[in-house]
Amino acid sequence: MEFGPILRSLARNKTGAVLIALQIAFTMTVVVNAYFIIGDRQARMQRPSGVAEETLFHLGSAGYTTNYDAVGSLAQDLQLLRSTPGVVDAVAVNQIPLDSSGWSSGAKTAPGNEHQSVPTAMYMGDHRTVATFGLKLVAGRDFTEADVRDRVPNMRGWPDKLMVTQALAAQLWPDEAPQAVLGRSVYIGDEAPATVIAVIEKLQAPWSGWSQVEQSVLVPEKLLWPSVNYMVRTEPGQRDALMPLVEEALATSNTQRIVSAPESMDDTRKRSYALDAGVSRILTVVMVLLVAITALGVIGLVSFSVRRRVKQIGTRRALGATRADIRRYFLLENFIITSVGLVMGAALTVGFNMWTVSALGFPKIDLAYVAGGMLLLWVVGLLAALGPAQRACAIAPAVATRTV
Amino acid sequence: MLEMRDVSKIYRTDAVQTHALRGVSLQVSQGEFVAVVGPSGSGKTTFLNIAGLLETFDGGRFLLDGNDTANLSDSARSKLRNEKIGFIFQGFNLIPDLNVFDNVDVPLRYRGFKAHERKQRIERVLELVGLHQRMKHLPAQLSGGQQQRVAIARALAGEPRFLLADEPTGNLDTQTALGVMQLLDEIHAGGATIVMVTHDDDLAQRAQRCVTMRDGAVQSDRARAA
Repeated sequence: MEFGPILRSLARNKTGAVLIALQIAFTMTVVVNAYFIIGDRQARMQRPSGVAEETLFHLGSAGYTTNYDAVGSLAQDLQLLRSTPGVVDAVAVNQIPLDSSGWSSGAKTAPGNEHQSVPTAMYMGDHRTVATFGLKLVAGRDFTEADVRDRVPNMRGWPDKLMVTQALAAQLWPDEAPQAVLGRSVYIGDEAPATVIAVIEKLQAPWSGWSQVEQSVLVPEKLLWPSVNYMVRTEPGQRDALMPLVEEALATSNTQRIVSAPESMDDTRKRSYALDAGVSRILTVVMVLLVAITALGVIGLVSFSVRRRVKQIGTRRALGATRADIRRYFLLENFIITSVGLVMGAALTVGFNMWTVSALGFPKIDLAYVAGGMLLLWVVGLLAALGPAQRACAIAPAVATRTV
Repeated sequence: MLEMRDVSKIYRTDAVQTHALRGVSLQVSQGEFVAVVGPSGSGKTTFLNIAGLLETFDGGRFLLDGNDTANLSDSARSKLRNEKIGFIFQGFNLIPDLNVFDNVDVPLRYRGFKAHERKQRIERVLELVGLHQRMKHLPAQLSGGQQQRVAIARALAGEPRFLLADEPTGNLDTQTALGVMQLLDEIHAGGATIVMVTHDDDLAQRAQRCVTMRDGAVQSDRARAA
């Protein structure tokens, strides 16, 4: 291996090599941090909401007449929905997971301002909510019809029973098993306490960007409001076909309200994470462009190097270098330049991440990303150098004796 | 050592065929110093390229140190060049980014010698050409004569079976050329086999044998008068 002579040769012609090494370092810094951000966003986007998304859709009903019969409409709508062929169940709820708008409050284990409350999303729905949503209880029991109370507009206070998600239970009673929190009291705001009767494995809040998205409370309430959301669960595979039918049926059954367009939970998820998906796409384009530009830079540098050294390559061939020796020479030279760039890039990547952690609150980068980025750019560098190196191999040894 | 029998070489383009060598037969024995002369276009350089395995030929037979070179692979030709032939070029062909030591080292690395053996050989040949004090100099820091001496050292370092010199003094002034020729005489006196291509008749007179080429063929092959 001609490691030493190549290094000494590079040291005497450093401008091009330094520029490419800097480009590689910059590319690595951007690519690794971008990939890390994309990975973080993708992980967020793939978090389960806790509901059976593939069989769920939702739509809204808003009564607009002064004498709108909210109680009658609710009963009529639920009866219509639940009797529609292909519909498994339906409930009226105050909010939909990942839908971007809803209720939140603070939960605590003791009354009084001296106790700090834990932020939580507040879901209201009747005793069929758990089944309709497809929620999984890890402890306790489902609501019964007897647990459900009516909730009219502008009503204060909460029912005496509720469910909490595992994530909220872990905040309220750290280190307690789900079974152990059953029967415990929870204070929502400064109202009378409610008893935990079940722990839900997962039920995400309506706001996907909220840091406490996993913390939710479900209370047993029948919503006697002019405006409600209906969550409808269908047989597998029938959801998309049922959505327009249900919309039409509700709209024609009662003309004193507006029925909003139904939306599948899959689309709700897409809408909720649209920014994350957009950022991921933009960063992916930036990464691909940067890697491509760097590869072109390497191709340019090695091609220039080959053109500049045609006579030298012919001389090396005359002195006994095989084609493989010539190819190895250029690949090794490029490997050295790339490696210098990647070592600088690794330092820059970690440094940049440290800045984003302290200034922007980004997560700390996993060093596996740095190693992966180095490996990727090593491969890209070698592949980019391969074409010009092949052209160098093709230079005939007879070039050595040419005088022009 | 070097035996060509009826060797021919044709360069082809879409429109033209050029017969660069027409049935060249030549034999060079161990320890000979042969000059190949002739005007431009006579086939000297083609002869040198084929003798040095830098190019293939189209017809005839060429034996190099007993090896039939007709059907050798590119790698085998490279290996044979590296082991059997030392090249001295008109333009020295030193690698400008490498110092004297590294330049002489180039063929030895391809030979696969260990580092300590390479170092010994490099120091010995640079001592021989009188440049052992300039090992760390770059070619640009040397005179033309010194550069050609480095090239000669590089050609000798692998202890080849023979030296092929292509106009070795073509880029040197008269005085420096004389010094280089004296060095070649000394190397020949030490037992080396040398084939030198030149268009300089005076230079050719220093060889034991003078082969004259014209129009791609050997016109004459005369031993120098003692």
